[in-house]
Amino acid sequence: MNLLPLIVVFPLIMAIILNYLYKNRFVKLLTVITLLLILIFPLVSIYGTYYFAGHGIVDGFVSGISYIYNPTKMIMVFILMLIGSLTLITSLGEKINGLTVALILLGLGSVSAIVLSDDLFNVYVFYEIAAVAQAGLVMSSGTENAYKAGFKYLIIGTLAGSLLLFGIGLLLAGTGTLNITDMHHYLANIESPSYGIYGGLLMMIIGLAYGSGLPPFHTVKANVYSEAEPYLAGILQTFSKFVLIAMIIIMFKIFGGLSYFATSQGVLIGLSIFAMVFGVVMALLQSDYKKLLSYHAISQVGYVSVGLALGTPLGIVAGIFHGINNVIYKTALFLGAHIVSKKASSDLSKIGGLLPVMPVVAFMILCAKLAISGVPPFNGFQSKLLLAESAMKANMPELTLIMIIVSIGTFVSMMKAFYLIFLKPCPDERLEEYKNIKISKYSIFSLTILTLLCILLGLYPDIVVNTIMPFAKDIGSQLVIK
Amino acid sequence: MDIQLISFVVSGLFVIMGLYGVFFIDNIIKKIISLSIIGNGVNLLLISIGYKSGGFVPIKLPSVSMDVFIGNMAYPLPQALVLTNIVIGASMLAIMLSLSIVFYKKYRTLKSSVILKDD
Repeated sequence: MNLLPLIVVFPLIMAIILNYLYKNRFVKLLTVITLLLILIFPLVSIYGTYYFAGHGIVDGFVSGISYIYNPTKMIMVFILMLIGSLTLITSLGEKINGLTVALILLGLGSVSAIVLSDDLFNVYVFYEIAAVAQAGLVMSSGTENAYKAGFKYLIIGTLAGSLLLFGIGLLLAGTGTLNITDMHHYLANIESPSYGIYGGLLMMIIGLAYGSGLPPFHTVKANVYSEAEPYLAGILQTFSKFVLIAMIIIMFKIFGGLSYFATSQGVLIGLSIFAMVFGVVMALLQSDYKKLLSYHAISQVGYVSVGLALGTPLGIVAGIFHGINNVIYKTALFLGAHIVSKKASSDLSKIGGLLPVMPVVAFMILCAKLAISGVPPFNGFQSKLLLAESAMKANMPELTLIMIIVSIGTFVSMMKAFYLIFLKPCPDERLEEYKNIKISKYSIFSLTILTLLCILLGLYPDIVVNTIMPFAKDIGSQLVIK
Repeated sequence: MDIQLISFVVSGLFVIMGLYGVFFIDNIIKKIISLSIIGNGVNLLLISIGYKSGGFVPIKLPSVSMDVFIGNMAYPLPQALVLTNIVIGASMLAIMLSLSIVFYKKYRTLKSSVILKDD
């Protein structure tokens, strides 16, 4: 049975239904059913190329929209849906309403479409839907600053989206097709491309930078993460990471192996170094836990894109693997921030001494913190090691050096936050207050699953790496620069 | 002169004018109008890609033979894209305008330097 379209369509349909139900008593029931079903679809769909809305292949060119499904995309979509399900489970313990659930599902559907799609215009449509969903999720926290952050995000999102479409238009004018595979075949076989192709490449980099939070859009993204509810910030940064991976893969599929693309790879590496260093420096300065985590999310985007932008098969594997690891531990950290801010506050100068109040949660947050700093035996260590190795093999030892320094900065700021939240002495009467505040079981359940995944992928990284390797070799082998 | 070239240049001018408006005009309604101008510039670019001098509407009529039709029809793909993009642009416009109503009720001004100031 062919269930692939349901990966995209089912969340969108449920989003419409749940939006209309709003505060009906069936919302919780429908949410539970939805989160179970979206986990199953990626696992049971069959690998292959799918054609929709057209006549399949006509005269060697694809007409209509095509989706490609392979093991790498299966892992990416499954992890995306898993994080989405855990966020939905957490939201069951909060004041849930249909609109928030609908926005999460809208984001899940559109980001999985960006991952699966082999058609540039389809990517653009879902890119805009994802932007609206993310702005809506930020505004759902209801504070004044959240509205401001969401509005800024929408304005810049419309701008970047229009520029991306401008680029897609230029590519269409230069090649006459929107299908990514066909476009690559055309570009690989012509002598010298028209100037429009260069413009299209530039506009695609702008769209990618906005979608993922690379500079110059890093402050907008960090603002969005810090103003959203912490458990929603987890899913927001998951969307950004997967949009980044999907868009860079699309760029490699179109331009891979062409001589002028090497310059763009250099630009991407430069942007990612800036994101890494800026993110960690800003994180060291923050006194608010949510803001600290938001800037770390920016810093981690740099890691993912540096691996992918290297363009060697090992680099692509490292980039995708780090992206997957990163969404796991970062969502765990944001969930931890959610629990901490429920118990006390997210202002690091006002809290302290939470370790005796919730030792198990503290241990799980520590695991996630060690994972993000790249300490063995957690998953962050495995992917950072692969990233360093790929940079060394690509003959760029200075990149490895920067990665290690940024890692040290990450470790310092994370341990500072851990001390201030859990270990700093605190008056006894305040501890009694903290003990009386109940934490929902749902969020602790999600945090446990994510911590277990951190340890599992840290001990057995081959589960993911071996699955991605053939795909990365396929894309990376096109990159032999003549 | 070549009509296609002129419309490419005009669409580029639209985008540049819109970018100026988004970055330098201190009024959220005017910013939103500028975004709309950028969107229209992009639509103009897309529609002029499919332009063909003296071409047909890409609908096959029984009275036109297939060879003549294929030789003379305009490229239909960009027209479909523009239609989709107009819908997306309208919905984005609606969301942003409704948000600016909320901001105006709160601040009693439309200046973006006041409304979007960081605390």
